Amino acid sequence: MNGPKIYLQINGMNVITQTAVSSFVVMVLLCAAGIILGRNLKKRPGRMQVITEKGVTMIYSLVEETMGRHNAYWTPYIAALFLSSLGGSLIGMTGILRSTTSDISTTLTWALMTSFLVWGCTIKNSGFKTFLKGYINPMNIISDIAQPVSMGFRHFGNIMGGSVLTSLLYSALAAGSAMILGLIRSSGIAVIIVIAVLGGVAFFFGMRKKKLSLKILGIALALIAVSAALEYFGVFESVPILQLGLPGVLSLYFDVFSGGVQALVFSLLTMVYVGMACPPREEKKQ
Amino acid sequence: MTGFEQIIGINPWTALWTFCNMIITFLILKKFLFKPVKKMIDDRQKEIDDMYSDAEHSKAEAAKLQADYEAHLSSARAERDEIMADAVSRARKREQEIIADAKKDAAAIMTKAEADIAQERRKALNEVKNEITSISVSIAETVVEREISEADHERLVMDFIGKLGESDD
Repeated sequence: MNGPKIYLQINGMNVITQTAVSSFVVMVLLCAAGIILGRNLKKRPGRMQVITEKGVTMIYSLVEETMGRHNAYWTPYIAALFLSSLGGSLIGMTGILRSTTSDISTTLTWALMTSFLVWGCTIKNSGFKTFLKGYINPMNIISDIAQPVSMGFRHFGNIMGGSVLTSLLYSALAAGSAMILGLIRSSGIAVIIVIAVLGGVAFFFGMRKKKLSLKILGIALALIAVSAALEYFGVFESVPILQLGLPGVLSLYFDVFSGGVQALVFSLLTMVYVGMACPPREEKKQ
Repeated sequence: MTGFEQIIGINPWTALWTFCNMIITFLILKKFLFKPVKKMIDDRQKEIDDMYSDAEHSKAEAAKLQADYEAHLSSARAERDEIMADAVSRARKREQEIIADAKKDAAAIMTKAEADIAQERRKALNEVKNEITSISVSIAETVVEREISEADHERLVMDFIGKLGESDD
């Protein structure tokens, strides 16, 4: 598992990396989607507009529930954060671009932005003196440092861990398929034919009894036989047959689910921290 | 491509790009998506609220109009009843008056007629008496052949008529 690729290096500084490119692509995609969805709004909405309005209303109500009605104006920032995070995690699934969120620079930047927003809100709402008074207890300095670090590393670690696990799984599956196919190949052509026939029978029964598991088993056996035969006749060196299917299911968890959860957690934490720094006006007067 | 970065390493340039991209995403989403959509939703909400309040207003107005109309109707009905009752009572009174007048007239006519009849009768009687007087005087003149005094004459005749009237009544 490598870090992000370096595309442009000036004076020993990695000015443009893969993460920067992915981040730019995500930004362009999000902005394009936003502009397209926000165009041609009508009093009597079409299908797309209904979905857009539903999404916008959902984010607004989420922000209002978490931060209070007076903080509803934070919604665009929270939404931008959430969508950037989600898009940044999901863009790793393209295979060409790397997830922006599996780079600590990205997540730490977002976490620091949240921290600066919190500090700014505290100063704006309670004054600079109160802000400084908070640090009479030195533990608060540690907590203020720990907050962005924990946020950034949590998000980074989850996405990065997913990528590491996926790549580990890929190499393990490659090794496993090489082992199985090597075993079959060395056993001779007869074993390949037997496996192919078994696969065919399983698929046939699966068709007749309409059982999905039997069908899948048949297809898998047939594929193993075919790839073993390809290796036997020397068409391919090694076919990573086990990499078919299983990583997709895991990717659904590590990329889609984990990416969504982390995006939600990150934006929720931002909402909570900023919301605490921006109390309602009545409370502020007391 | 000149190689790979470390897996865990902070790159200030990446941080800068991320920051800029985040700000741009935020600004563009805010300007082009959230503000217009929110405005649209709020406008529609306001329009719906207005429509509802208008409808409530119209409904209240209609109810008021109906109440007014019903009040008018019932007052008109009462007035009609009053007029009718008045007219009936006046008609009754008039009827009574007419009948009473008629009775009075009839009675007057009757009395007058009776008086006329009585007078006519008296007049006739007087005439008859005079006739009879002159007849009886001429008869008596012819019978006794002599002139009796006017006073005797008158007395005799009156006696006679008195007897006649007695027997007549």
